[in-house]
Amino acid sequence: MSQTVTVSPLTRIEGHLAVHTETEPFQSGSAERHRVKSARCEGEMYRGFEQILRGRDPMDAQQITQRICGVCPISHGIASVRAQEMAYGIRPGRNGRLLQNLILAANYLHSHILHFYHLAGLDFVDVTAILKYSGADRALKAVKSWVEEALNRKDLFAAAPLLPRYEGEYLTDVDTNIAVIAHYAEALELRKICDEMGAIFGARLPHSTALIPGGVTQVPTAERVLSYAGRLQKVRSFIDEVYIPDVVTVAQAFPSYFDVGRAAGNFLCYGVFETNDGGEKLIPPGVVIDGKWETLDPEQIAEDVGCSRYASGAPRHPKQGETKPEPQRSGAYSWLKAPRYKENPMEVGALARVVAGYLKPGESWIKREVDAFLQPLNLPVERLFSVLGRHAARALEARWVAREAQKWLDEIEIDGPATTPFELPKTGSGHGLTEAPRGALGHWISIDEYRISNYQCVVPTTWNCSPRDSRGRPGPVETALEGLEIKDATQPIEIGRVVRSFDPCIACAVH
Amino acid sequence: MIPCSRREFLRAGTLLAAGLGLSQGVASVFAQGLQRLFERQKRVLWLQGLSCSGCSVSFLNCNEPGPLDILTRMISLVFHPNISATQGAQAIETIQKLVSEGGYYLVFEGAVAPGMPEACLLGGRPLNDLLVDVLQRADAVVAAGSCAAFGGIPAGEGNATGAVGLAEFMRSKNIPTEKRLLNCPGCPVHPDSLVGTLAYVAGKGYPSVNPELLTPDMMYKHSVHDDCPRFHYWQKNAFAEQFGDEGCLFKLGCLGPLSHTNCPQRQWNGGVNWCIRAGAPCIACTSPDFVKRRAFPFYRKGEAYHAVAYQEKDRKGDKS
Repeated sequence: MSQTVTVSPLTRIEGHLAVHTETEPFQSGSAERHRVKSARCEGEMYRGFEQILRGRDPMDAQQITQRICGVCPISHGIASVRAQEMAYGIRPGRNGRLLQNLILAANYLHSHILHFYHLAGLDFVDVTAILKYSGADRALKAVKSWVEEALNRKDLFAAAPLLPRYEGEYLTDVDTNIAVIAHYAEALELRKICDEMGAIFGARLPHSTALIPGGVTQVPTAERVLSYAGRLQKVRSFIDEVYIPDVVTVAQAFPSYFDVGRAAGNFLCYGVFETNDGGEKLIPPGVVIDGKWETLDPEQIAEDVGCSRYASGAPRHPKQGETKPEPQRSGAYSWLKAPRYKENPMEVGALARVVAGYLKPGESWIKREVDAFLQPLNLPVERLFSVLGRHAARALEARWVAREAQKWLDEIEIDGPATTPFELPKTGSGHGLTEAPRGALGHWISIDEYRISNYQCVVPTTWNCSPRDSRGRPGPVETALEGLEIKDATQPIEIGRVVRSFDPCIACAVH
Repeated sequence: MIPCSRREFLRAGTLLAAGLGLSQGVASVFAQGLQRLFERQKRVLWLQGLSCSGCSVSFLNCNEPGPLDILTRMISLVFHPNISATQGAQAIETIQKLVSEGGYYLVFEGAVAPGMPEACLLGGRPLNDLLVDVLQRADAVVAAGSCAAFGGIPAGEGNATGAVGLAEFMRSKNIPTEKRLLNCPGCPVHPDSLVGTLAYVAGKGYPSVNPELLTPDMMYKHSVHDDCPRFHYWQKNAFAEQFGDEGCLFKLGCLGPLSHTNCPQRQWNGGVNWCIRAGAPCIACTSPDFVKRRAFPFYRKGEAYHAVAYQEKDRKGDKS
């Protein structure tokens, strides 16, 4: 019998998301399984940043928009200062650019580590394996006795928040499980260190107050550069020796997830990390439609509200975008708008950055790196368009960003200025296109009478978790769920694995 | 085997108090509280309304106790939307089981939208419906961050949701706030202030608070201006004119006099930095007025062009 299988709320992501799937039954040996025919992603929380920004001092924007997301505030800050810089007619100088890159790099590293271990990891690792731990590590022994004691006295919420969970197929090897649990713990410290790195140049994390149009408020001293560098070394070792090997371990234990979770195969990347004063980017911009690379044209972006909780209207470019909430609009099922590029739903994120960089014509260092990673695993690049491919793309990217951060540190002019003077214009407009850890992020600002007259954000998860558009085309996550096989409809662990591979952030997506 | 010794609580309580610049007496209360939380005398439920998860990320930046202890042994965290393994209907059941048991501490992150219930759903239902019960049956409620405390950004002028903080929501639903609700503002909340507040309530009960703002005095009594390391510049009228300059940040827009919090003492991210030290004007993120009015910008850059709606006298710190 066809059946609706729902995960509401879908936890271990940022924000409020419900996923509904329509499934049909099929026989697998003697067991009845369910296959997803269609899916709906419902973004369930709305704040209205775009209305709140109207009429404000333009410089408030990089502070207010960072609060769109507590996980990737720096990306919003960067998008906002880029949009303002365009409107003010300035660019950051060398130190300003390098320090902004370094703060953003720290935010990337925190986000990717957090995502793999603390958000997605519990879909794969069996935390109950800790009960079989017989080693001498104090932290692991403490966690073991904590779980054991709670289970023994039949505590109602034993081992919460790590239990309860959907039961299903987890990693089976005890030693592997225990190793990954130990890394879960270690990663908690590592992501904290990443936030410290961001704070060293950005004042504090989350929500950096030091980020301003044209640079940062603090001159880089030798002591600050060193304290960032020391922490970066720790993070780099963790990425190379722990994070990437763990992704490979999970991939080897769940190889079928290289074939699960493929979206429509269109990718969008705005590029990120300016590497010179000309605005060239470490990760280059690019668009991939039907497997073909093309140059990014930001004019091709439009937001559709066909199934979104906003007053209806034709799709609009964000420059002319509007946000008129209509919470009870009939037929609408999500607070997310549906952004489209040349009318196509587009996947964004680390995988999109990797694919766009890989397929870009000409010499590509990304292609070299990806091929070197895939070759020993004997995988063709197409299999990266999957749940495991997204995890692998993030892990590889973490390695690259950490490596480049070391170079940016070396380029800093110690005690040199990190700001660029500017005047606020009476009128102006601009856009800031960058990449958040979760994907392509754009802010569009218009200024009139020294105030913000319009502000629009098109955010990574707006692309990935978008609902259907007025033409009925599902968003990338909705497409990725189609065809998914679910073993137990009461504990659909598979849905979470697919959705989390996109690293959704609903606070971002709706804003 | 005893999974956590008395010495571990003393150590964590002492370091937590030291980080906050508090006394040995408070350290013992923290230690006592952490032990009670560990023993599950009080469990903790974490829910999110109109939020960005920044306070959750900040919570994971805690130093003493560290994030692993916070998530496992030292605070019996029954449910957290970003961290919990559980999901879907099972998550809702977990929450409901705890609520029917009662007597827990609720940590709430984000604002509430009484004017637009659809603006925040949990398990397909308006969060507001569930929240009334959750608030009523809690022993103590900690509003984590400025959104939960005072409405924060979602309550900024021009918003369409009618967002408010918990205090206003609770009063509108006739849920008692007295000796129950504690506001820990900040955008985000500082992890030590949050963990310290939970530990104190568990160790000794409701702390002394600002009667209007319900903020614990031990963390929120003094303004940033009172204890500012650049205070001497202000006394000498030596002002920074451009970002990156030495001097008092007042002329760049610093709102330190309006922000009551302990940033100058414990700083941020393990003490590596904080706004004023980085030359970044304080944006008064702990103030009940944070982001509330359009005409009250964070910076004074554009002041030459448009009137700013604050008076010089508001800028002066009040030491009382």
